[in-house]
Amino acid sequence: MPFKSSPQKFNASIKTVEIGTGDKKIALGGENVLPFYSFDGSAENLKKVGIEILDTGLETFSPELAEFYGNETEIAAIAKKAAQAEGADFLCLRFEGADPNGLDRPVEECVAIASAVCDAIDIPLVIYGSKNGEKDIALFGAIAEALQGKNALFMSANEENYKTLAASVGLAYGQKLSAESAVDINLAKQLNVLIGQVGVAPESIVMNVGAATAGYGFEYVASTMQRTIMAALQQNDVMIQMPIITPVSSETWYVKESVAAEADVPEWGSANERGIMNEIATAAACLAAGSHAVILRHPTSVKAVSNLIQALA
Amino acid sequence: MSKFIVIGERIHVISPVIREALDKRDPEPILQRAKDQIAAGATYIDVNIGPAESQGVDIMKWAVTTIQEACDNIPLALDTANKAAIEAGISVYNRSKGKPIVNSADAGDRVEYIDLAAANDAIIIALLSKDGIPSDNDERMEYLQEMLERGMGLGMEPDDMWFDPLFLVIKGMQEKQLEVLEAIKMVTDMGLMTTGGLSNVSNGMPKNIRPIIDAVFIARAIQAGFTSAILNPNDEQMMQTIKCCDIINNEVLYADSFLDL
Repeated sequence: MPFKSSPQKFNASIKTVEIGTGDKKIALGGENVLPFYSFDGSAENLKKVGIEILDTGLETFSPELAEFYGNETEIAAIAKKAAQAEGADFLCLRFEGADPNGLDRPVEECVAIASAVCDAIDIPLVIYGSKNGEKDIALFGAIAEALQGKNALFMSANEENYKTLAASVGLAYGQKLSAESAVDINLAKQLNVLIGQVGVAPESIVMNVGAATAGYGFEYVASTMQRTIMAALQQNDVMIQMPIITPVSSETWYVKESVAAEADVPEWGSANERGIMNEIATAAACLAAGSHAVILRHPTSVKAVSNLIQALA
Repeated sequence: MSKFIVIGERIHVISPVIREALDKRDPEPILQRAKDQIAAGATYIDVNIGPAESQGVDIMKWAVTTIQEACDNIPLALDTANKAAIEAGISVYNRSKGKPIVNSADAGDRVEYIDLAAANDAIIIALLSKDGIPSDNDERMEYLQEMLERGMGLGMEPDDMWFDPLFLVIKGMQEKQLEVLEAIKMVTDMGLMTTGGLSNVSNGMPKNIRPIIDAVFIARAIQAGFTSAILNPNDEQMMQTIKCCDIINNEVLYADSFLDL
């Protein structure tokens, strides 16, 4: 019997969210087909890959990774190099050093770093916070003001700080805001509703529905992403049609499979290679489950995942 | 299954405001009611212009264009005994957000409304009655068969035939209520769609009683498989009940604010 293709299209689509400005601005979402189902219809915008750098420079990076960056000490030089990595669609600057329980870098210093990075690159910028909700309110407000007109994305607002961040980042400074819901699909929808009620347009919101390294409860992350996409497309639920962005590197580079030294577990082989494999495997799984963008750290991973996206387009 | 479909009933010639607005072609009161109903969650807006024997064609054309142009082409149910008026309404109808509904056919004198819907690629509301109230569900199912065969014979999709079991007023026909719910179940078991003017059940009851009776009745009807209803979307208790049913049926993703959406 001849094969008869029956496309699975939905009368609903993911909203398109643009980040950045100029020639290299990116658009996430827009499709009305399942992830990578380009045979069913137009996948619209290709999924995107971001490269992550830290405000702390190369300190915590592996020696191999520091070498890629030429052991630079200036954040602007590091950013420039990152932005030139093959396959990098956007750059994510993570303020690990802003955490009050760590270096507690003052907001003014962070603003200077963000501005320097922004000036050094020509691809869109994502600002990733300190993971401290209180600190991020001050941090994001100040950076969003300094980067006005750059259409940057700020990650992320949560249940506690969404009101202030929606008003400052989203409304006052016209930047894009990510809503973080940590593997809770009902909260993901609720946060979109609440941020919308503050007055932020749906086209300015993306979702971080949770992340985990493959093997570390990843099935919860994957099923949350899949259910999110199905509610968006199948049920045409406008409150959950925002694109998904997933910070992969901030998970995968902290598990023992990535960090254990080869000397300690020789049977596992090169730590650097393990870290890269972990990052690629997790990113590919996130994209297949529904993520529209992933944030990675190693240039080798960025290139590999970007190639995967191109190959499946 | 899918999300429950609400057909807003408030643009009805029986209301003096609407009657006057239709007569004078005054868009304001009609659009106000259309917008109120859409904001409250109506998927379709019913446009009942009454028998409209003389000017029906003009009135329906005007009403369809007026409402759709102002309300992002909201899909409509065209509700009149004047067949020419329904055809005229469909001739100017914008299908971008959904097919028109013809309201309504029955197995008796109005059976030809099925032909009209079939000829115009519309949805038909088909009352399970012939001459007045059906005496039992055997009768209802007999009418269903007649109408289903007629529609399918004319090339209609079964999903475009929404069967109305005919809701009966509790005050006076209390003993018939479970039978109506059973009828919904029987139609649902055949894989078919259902609808109806549900608030008829509370007719004649005090104003403070009607919303709770309507709400409980619709919850039980949805439990039996009911897929849509012609009702007042601005009845908050009714709409909250429907939203809760959609959540329990897993047709809408839960969020704490779901009642406000």
